[in-house]
Amino acid sequence: MQNPGQLKIYSGGILWKKQGGGKAVEVDKADIAGVTWTKVPRTNQLGVRSKDGLCYKFIGFRDPDVASLTNFFQTNCGITPEEKQLSVSGRNWGEVDLNGNMLAFLVGQKQAFEVSLADVSQTQMQGKNDVILEFHVDDTTGANEKDSLMEISFHIPNSNTQFVGDENHP
Amino acid sequence: GDTRSSARTTTDLIAYKNVNDLPPPKAMMIQIDQKNEAVLLPIYGIMVPFHVATIRTVSSQQDTNRNCYIRIIFTVPGTPFSPHDTNSMKHQGAIYLKEVSFRSKDPRHISEVVGAIKTLRRQVMARESERAERAT
Repeated sequence: MQNPGQLKIYSGGILWKKQGGGKAVEVDKADIAGVTWTKVPRTNQLGVRSKDGLCYKFIGFRDPDVASLTNFFQTNCGITPEEKQLSVSGRNWGEVDLNGNMLAFLVGQKQAFEVSLADVSQTQMQGKNDVILEFHVDDTTGANEKDSLMEISFHIPNSNTQFVGDENHP
Repeated sequence: GDTRSSARTTTDLIAYKNVNDLPPPKAMMIQIDQKNEAVLLPIYGIMVPFHVATIRTVSSQQDTNRNCYIRIIFTVPGTPFSPHDTNSMKHQGAIYLKEVSFRSKDPRHISEVVGAIKTLRRQVMARESERAERAT
């Protein structure tokens, strides 16, 4: 899920082209639902959420880029990027937050990780308290990934009241 | 100095305090950070750390197409002998990550990862139970 390429951020939106041609991602300014910045190890990650629920992630931004691009998004697109903090405590308990197609696992109000439900091929309930998500493993987009995520499961204890009685969660 | 040692349980262990404390990202593959007792998993382009004390078991499997699979099961409340049981009340209402599976193209890397997680986990568990004993 990591591909090198070139990203153009201009007054009309964003355009990303894969290095050596091929895949391109284009989100028109009018289709941007939100923009986020996340500090990740050694670099910054830009998240662009489109109105159709998809979320694109780009990394490789230096700290000065974040400041100038934040400015650019505000003045040219009328979008104020949000800062999203990453949890690195290493805990496996927290909250699940659903936003569009994205499922985020939050630890202490910070995001530990995020997965796209658009890539989920199957969900299963196991017993009363466990939810399993199976992911499509796409050999083309995962070309640069040595280890690819296949399955993830969450344990929702009875003490959790967020998803009580929701058979379709998530 | 750790002044909380008497009240401390394995679930209080923290892998990193700051994003910049994480090791520099290499390839998008599972990494072990011995020093910080963490296992780093590539999830959607980010290396996500988990303290080794949150891991209950790890196993690997290989299929006939030379694909290799690794499964990591985390501790959740309600499992026998889980360290959470003593203090799962503390995280009432929380949702737990229970299990993750990855497919890998590199069986040797996976068997190294499985071995390293098991060793690290043993070391940390031994140290923590010793600490708990001394505290009582």
